[in-house]
Amino acid sequence: MAIKKDAGNSPAASGNGKWNVPTGRRTDEWSTALVQIGESQDRGAFTRFFRHFAPLIKAFALSGSSLSASHADELVQEVMLKVWQKAGGFNPEKAAASTWVYTIARNCRTDMFRRLQKFDTPLASDDFELESEEEESFVVLHTRRGAERVRELMSDLPPDQAQILAKVYMEGKSHSEAAAELDLPLGTVKSRVRLAIQKLQGLMEA
Amino acid sequence: MAHHHPPMDLLLEYAAGALPVAQSACVAAHLSYCQRCRQVVDRLEDVGGAHLERLDPQPVGESVLESVMARLDDPEPLRYAPNEVSDTQLPGLLDRLINGNYADLAWKRVTQSLSISYLKTGDPNHEFALYRIAEGGRIPEHTHGGSEMTLVLRGGFADESGEYHPGDFLVREGWDKHTPVALEGEECICLAVLDAPLKFTRLRHRWLNPLLKLHAG
Repeated sequence: MAIKKDAGNSPAASGNGKWNVPTGRRTDEWSTALVQIGESQDRGAFTRFFRHFAPLIKAFALSGSSLSASHADELVQEVMLKVWQKAGGFNPEKAAASTWVYTIARNCRTDMFRRLQKFDTPLASDDFELESEEEESFVVLHTRRGAERVRELMSDLPPDQAQILAKVYMEGKSHSEAAAELDLPLGTVKSRVRLAIQKLQGLMEA
Repeated sequence: MAHHHPPMDLLLEYAAGALPVAQSACVAAHLSYCQRCRQVVDRLEDVGGAHLERLDPQPVGESVLESVMARLDDPEPLRYAPNEVSDTQLPGLLDRLINGNYADLAWKRVTQSLSISYLKTGDPNHEFALYRIAEGGRIPEHTHGGSEMTLVLRGGFADESGEYHPGDFLVREGWDKHTPVALEGEECICLAVLDAPLKFTRLRHRWLNPLLKLHAG
């Protein structure tokens, strides 16, 4: 797994840890770029966005070496095209730019896996998206703070828990597949996920 | 408002894109009823966003950027339009799989008060089916060889451990025995996702078990 591990201070305190990226000015940069793309089809903003996110999407595609390099490039194209088409629906109050890109990349990868396996389903991942509903404003506020706290929490997670989450999220592995690949009992994987979840839950209730 | 929710580890697998399509569709259908779980999934997707940011960037050739730029003016893909004539009042996803009214589906009658309609999701390992129970009707006592997810869509039912209404989500594992009974006043329709067939446990219903072999796909 090509995940960098930062030891030491929580990035919120140190201000220069890699986890800090989304909470500082650069998050605003990517959210602003998305809004510009959505509102005025700004190709310059899109090119900047591409140069930052395309290499991350490619890394995501290659996680667990589940896709070939050419399929990874194909995935990058599909995801970035969706970014262009869907940017108008991006709400910077509701989601961080990286989370928004992640959900698109996740869905495109799922669809690509199914295509490659000649899996015959009437459903595409986009069908799973909910029609946008009105959210209460307190929910939105909660959402923004929550997204920042999630990043702080990630940096404090013990390596054994972080490893499982990386496997599940970046490789799309179920708990039992992660257990098989890491050669761990399923119960161990589940209890590590449960510990990480307890911390997440703590911050959701805060 | 739903009172019974998917467990957190299931929501996490959903947010990570790690669930098989039939289970994922069942969780997504619950989310359309439940703002609380939508918020939890938003946070769990932030975990994905945070991981994405931390990956080691991999070089992407200029030709990839060029071919994306060349496609920006392509027409957007067509989206599925909601089915306006159906009577189901269901989340879009199920509406799409059902494609019409409950009455138009092929219902297989299993007992006097229970009919089942199998829907196609393409999932090779999970059955995705609607269970229709007459008001006050009972599903004979049964167990599951594997796991079962249930989402109430209409009416409601009660079993040994509680009462369930539209939007409520349940997971049962293994050899849990239960006897659901539809509430009075309205028929009950549930979505059930199974990875092993239901097995009736009482002698007088066991002859029906061959009828219940798993209809995955």
